Amino acid sequence: MNTNTPHPTNTVPSASTVPSASSVASENAKGAAMDPRPVLLDINKLSIEYRTKRGKLKAVHEASLRIRKGESVAIIGESGCGKTTLATSIVHMLPRNATISGGSIGFFPEGKAEIRLEALPEKEMRAVRWNDIVMMFQASQSSFNPVAKIRTQFLDTFQAHNPEISTDDALNRSRELLELVFLNADAVLNSFPHELSGGMKQRTLIALSLLLDPQLVILDEPTTALDLITQKKILNLLNSLRDSCGFSMMFITHDLGIVTQLADRVVTMYAGVVVENAPTADFFSTPLHPYSQGLLRAIPKLNATFEQLYSIPGSTPDLVDKMDGCLFAPRCAHCHARCLTEIPALRQTDNDRWVACHLYEEVTHGAY
Amino acid sequence: MPKRLQFPLFLLRKLLKVAFTVWVVTTLIFFLIRLMPSNPIEQYIQNLVIQYGMSYEEATSRAASLFSLDLSQSMFAQYLEYLKDAVRLDFGTSFLSPGVQVSEIIAARLPWTLFTVGTGLILSFIVGTALGAIAAYRRESWYEPIISGLSSFLSAIPDFLIAIFLILFFGVFTWWGRGSIVPIFQLRGNYGAGVNIGWNWPFIKSVLDHSFVPILTYFFSQIGIWVLLMKGSTTGCLNADYAVIARARGLRPRKILTSYIGRNAMLPIATEFAMRLGFIIGGSLIIEQLFVYQGVGLELLKATTNRDYPLMQGIFLIMTIAIVLSNLFAEILYSLLDPRIRVKGGSKHA
Ligand SMILES: Nc1ncnc2c1ncn2[C@@H]1O[C@H](COP(=O)(O)OP(=O)(O)OP(=O)(O)O)[C@@H](O)[C@H]1O
Ligand code: SF4
Ligand SMILES: [Mg+2]
Repeated sequence: MNTNTPHPTNTVPSASTVPSASSVASENAKGAAMDPRPVLLDINKLSIEYRTKRGKLKAVHEASLRIRKGESVAIIGESGCGKTTLATSIVHMLPRNATISGGSIGFFPEGKAEIRLEALPEKEMRAVRWNDIVMMFQASQSSFNPVAKIRTQFLDTFQAHNPEISTDDALNRSRELLELVFLNADAVLNSFPHELSGGMKQRTLIALSLLLDPQLVILDEPTTALDLITQKKILNLLNSLRDSCGFSMMFITHDLGIVTQLADRVVTMYAGVVVENAPTADFFSTPLHPYSQGLLRAIPKLNATFEQLYSIPGSTPDLVDKMDGCLFAPRCAHCHARCLTEIPALRQTDNDRWVACHLYEEVTHGAY
Repeated sequence: MPKRLQFPLFLLRKLLKVAFTVWVVTTLIFFLIRLMPSNPIEQYIQNLVIQYGMSYEEATSRAASLFSLDLSQSMFAQYLEYLKDAVRLDFGTSFLSPGVQVSEIIAARLPWTLFTVGTGLILSFIVGTALGAIAAYRRESWYEPIISGLSSFLSAIPDFLIAIFLILFFGVFTWWGRGSIVPIFQLRGNYGAGVNIGWNWPFIKSVLDHSFVPILTYFFSQIGIWVLLMKGSTTGCLNADYAVIARARGLRPRKILTSYIGRNAMLPIATEFAMRLGFIIGGSLIIEQLFVYQGVGLELLKATTNRDYPLMQGIFLIMTIAIVLSNLFAEILYSLLDPRIRVKGGSKHA
């Protein structure tokens, strides 16, 4: 690993090689990606604000990212950087004091026309939830209604989206999925939630989430309540299901080990801004953004967690303040005059790679 | 343990506990009355001696027959005798109305108290939980602060003030030059003079007329609690993981409100309701006094002021049994409503 050198070209060895590769890419940055898979979710310059007593808190600021069919995208970043806010906005389950103040979320379900999620009325959104997009929330300990049998809760889900289906068909489909996650289907269906262990509940939730063949599964630190071994098992299970069922995955985690194992792509957020978006291998071999570099340098081993990351000097900015210049500037070793006055845009450096930092201005072309 | 035996065994264990509690209270009542510094029986005997000039022996035998106990027996033998009678709900004869069985007096008063206090409790429960749920669901509406504020207010003022206010409102104040809403004589007693007791309309109407304001008092004195309890409980469930995930699952709001939030919010409230059922029997001393409503509460008040110990014993015992039984009922209800409790005591992997 590099020591902290102020000179940008030293810390970013790949920067000099970027132009040759990217010059081949088309001038249209958005269409330049080499990944042939169709885009499933296109978040474009999305901004989300919370109304707070102190004023408007910009939790997400002009965030852009794309998820392709079958792709697995990890969102990383320090606590409070807006990961949950970004993810929950997709299915309109933000807290009441939150508003989407700009940008768009395009959803392109297979065989259907584009759905603009950011403006979708609640009733239509209800049809999208779980049917097309599954959202699993952070730290949910009791995902199931404690007073109803698992069976009822599976049937409720069918009832909400597909009332015509017969109970037998619904139960057969439920059994199929429970067996897919290696559970004794009938025993689980006839259990109350408290009769299942944490890991069993998590697997049951996965079975429930795949019940309606969703196209996108969003997981917000889904396994933090479980022990490490169970966590790994659950995530591996999810990954293999992704291959067989063909859904895309967006997951938020603080565990970089999980990222290397499960993600095709890593999106790094800092203070509500997407600062880097790169294929997993590239991200770990040559992180571009000084913040990403800090993240990786701060950990001795790749499978360590963010707990050890606090060695990046300084703390995250107050999101209520007006922003001018790069938000990472106060903590950045490469900060220069321009960084204090101009917000760096998310720009493409490579076929499939973006970074928001003034250091790469000359090697990038086209905003996201 | 086989699953089908779990519930009967659970019930048996609980019933034994009930029996034990009742026995302890019964015993306490017996010894408290007899071991008090001024033993009420002894005092009664003294009273007879002084007031009526009876001889001590005469007075003792009179007292013994009144309390249906043999004072020459040892304390323990008396205790056994007392227990035997108590089991048969025979508390001896009243002291104030000699010759009348205590159980008869209680049986005559109980229906009135059950009717008024019970109706007030049930109505306040139904309306209160509904309002509480609404206040929780519509946290941001303009009427939520009104519901919550009024509820806090009502739950904070003592019930006798509510009674006095209602008496003034319905029976004393005159409105727009017309008389009071309810003639004041209807605010006293259980029914009007001159009606034939029985299942005839004038009697029923008179009973309803007389019980209306007392029931309203019980209603208002309890509704605040139900609203606040239900609001708190529902608010706690609104943001529960399972409610949030139910929404993420695309369930209809109505379904989430009833099957997911409502069911869980009702758990502690239903138990509280079951427990309060036991307190119906004691009635309310002050409210029944204010309305001169001939119920158990008023009877207990009379018994206390006149030192009618057999009657007091009987009422206390009946109240104890009712409260202990309603606690048992609450526990059973909870275990039926909440599957997490149901397995307790049985094997978890049955
Ligand atoms: N309901 C809310 N009201 C006001 N501000 C909020 C609310 N929820 C979140 N925030 C703020 O928005 C910012 C982003 O929060 P968010 O929950 O999206 O962070 P996160 O990246 O998911 O963090 P973590 O890793 O701890 O889960 C934080 O600064 C937080 O304080
Ligand atoms: S733009 Fe921000 S991250 Fe990049 S060098 Fe300047 S301060 Fe550092
Ligand atoms: Mg979060």
